[in-house]
Amino acid sequence: MLETKELMVRDLKKWFRSPAWLFASLVQPVLWLVLFGNAFNPASMIPSLPGSNAIKTQILQSTFGGAPNYITFLTAGMLCFLVVTWAMWAGGPLVTDRSLGYLNKLLVAPISRTAITFSLLLSSILKGVVLSVMLLVVALILPGGLVFASGFGVADLLGIFAALILLSVGFLWLFMMVSVRAKKFETLAAIGSTLGLPLLFASSALLPTASMPAWLSAIAGINPISKAADVIRYLIVQGRVTGGILSTVTFDLVYLLAFAVVCTLLGVYASNRGLRME
Amino acid sequence: MNTIIEAKGLTKVYPPSTKAVNQVSFSVGEGEIFGFLGPNGAGKTTTIKMLTTLASITDGECNVGGYDVRTQQDGVRRSIGLVPQDAAVDGDLTGMENLVLSARLYKVPDGEIKRKADELIGLVGLEGAAARLTRTYSGGMRKRLELIAGLIHEPRVLFLDEPTLGLDIQTRMAMWDYIRGINRDRNVTIFMTTHYLEEADSLCGMVAIIDHGQIKALDSPKALKSSLGRDVLEVELPDGSDVSAKLSSMEMVREVSRKGNTYSLKIEDGGRSLQEISVGLWKLGLEVKDVRLTRSSLDQVFLNVTGRSIRDEVVDNGDYMVARARAERVRS
Repeated sequence: MLETKELMVRDLKKWFRSPAWLFASLVQPVLWLVLFGNAFNPASMIPSLPGSNAIKTQILQSTFGGAPNYITFLTAGMLCFLVVTWAMWAGGPLVTDRSLGYLNKLLVAPISRTAITFSLLLSSILKGVVLSVMLLVVALILPGGLVFASGFGVADLLGIFAALILLSVGFLWLFMMVSVRAKKFETLAAIGSTLGLPLLFASSALLPTASMPAWLSAIAGINPISKAADVIRYLIVQGRVTGGILSTVTFDLVYLLAFAVVCTLLGVYASNRGLRME
Repeated sequence: MNTIIEAKGLTKVYPPSTKAVNQVSFSVGEGEIFGFLGPNGAGKTTTIKMLTTLASITDGECNVGGYDVRTQQDGVRRSIGLVPQDAAVDGDLTGMENLVLSARLYKVPDGEIKRKADELIGLVGLEGAAARLTRTYSGGMRKRLELIAGLIHEPRVLFLDEPTLGLDIQTRMAMWDYIRGINRDRNVTIFMTTHYLEEADSLCGMVAIIDHGQIKALDSPKALKSSLGRDVLEVELPDGSDVSAKLSSMEMVREVSRKGNTYSLKIEDGGRSLQEISVGLWKLGLEVKDVRLTRSSLDQVFLNVTGRSIRDEVVDNGDYMVARARAERVRS
């Protein structure tokens, strides 16, 4: 337990001391929100006809699940994308340690093998939470930005972070399975950059699934990113959820929990195998 | 002397059928500096990996610090320190942070960490650099830090894998002094690998010459040199007929070879024989133009037991590239 903490602190120090990573972590989500939120804003794609404003608002609200503007809709998706991206790179230090030889130093120490992977997992979750808070703040500050529902409270905020953490744990273990095997950072980069955007597009993170063709909407329906994005969106847009929406949110959270548990079991098994003796 | 490392028939096969280490047996006494000498790819690092629980043992038995390496890995890990060939410290942490992290991983009590770290930093003269990120260190400073990072939990055995690879000769000799000091003053047994003959000769009390995964010779450098090496006396004579037969009839001479007017005489104990041979040459009525004595060296021993010189191997095996890659990394 103690060694997990020590190794987590090491990873956080490295993150803090690496200006490129730190800059990218801070700027990337903001860029996404600002650029994507404006360039793809569906509200501006609907032509304005005289007297049509009320109808336009109605169309948008029904399309975006009651969100008053696109950035409010998009924020949920961006939060999910942020933690998934971090999950992809969480095993990076492991690959670097292996190629530099430092990993051997850790493996001969009398510590448990899982401390090595768990420490990276925890530090990645911590980074994800910090950056998510920053993203929410930026989204709130943006003109025409995030608007919380009137009843939004602490419970909703906790719900948002529960969904994010479960989503991130699942993807962390999935990518950790690659990281414990990868000999080079390029392997991780190739897999991450190939899967990252498709995972995002095949989900409800950017656009509602109702507007997708049936096959894509089916994929998006089982994508854990969609589940997390939906939960967060309901909590932001509806505030206190009740009735049918409450059961949807509960179902999605259980789905995410199952995703996290299954990935953890697979991931712990695979990464312990990956770190065993030559 | 108590035995602290005991290996019997140690064998490592990497799938499908690469025998990296083949039936290696040796024992290391407590307090000794034991060296594995051999070219790259000889099986030195694989042996260290097996002894330090990094690689599984395909066959054979092995005991380190009183623990069975196959079944008591945690005990082995607690009694040893390892300074691997590659980076053993994190460039993004300061020298002190690296030591503290090492200490914490080995559960050194918090109250003792600072004192031990300061003492070790003083031992290798890194006082001025302890607060700096280690990526700003020179290759030699880095190696010194790696050395003490392996010592912070006071292991009984310290494993050094090519401790001076890629260092210049002055830095290398300074490292030898540190290694000797640690062995002597802290009573730490040292198991090291090297492909530098001078290093094995100067540091190690016992040397095993390893080639193609097998031990070809095992003894103290002095004994190896006197049993397997030969002193060679080169004698240059004026133009004339072949006198090889006359030379080989002398008592001290074991073997004679000739290249033009220069004769190479393999002899017993060069220093003592030199005078007798001079007298012998005079008795034979031979006028000597020049004489040169080459004392037996580990290089000759290596040549004798493996059939080739270790220096030829070094370049062939891409050692230069490894050293370069390390140097690049240290700089960046």
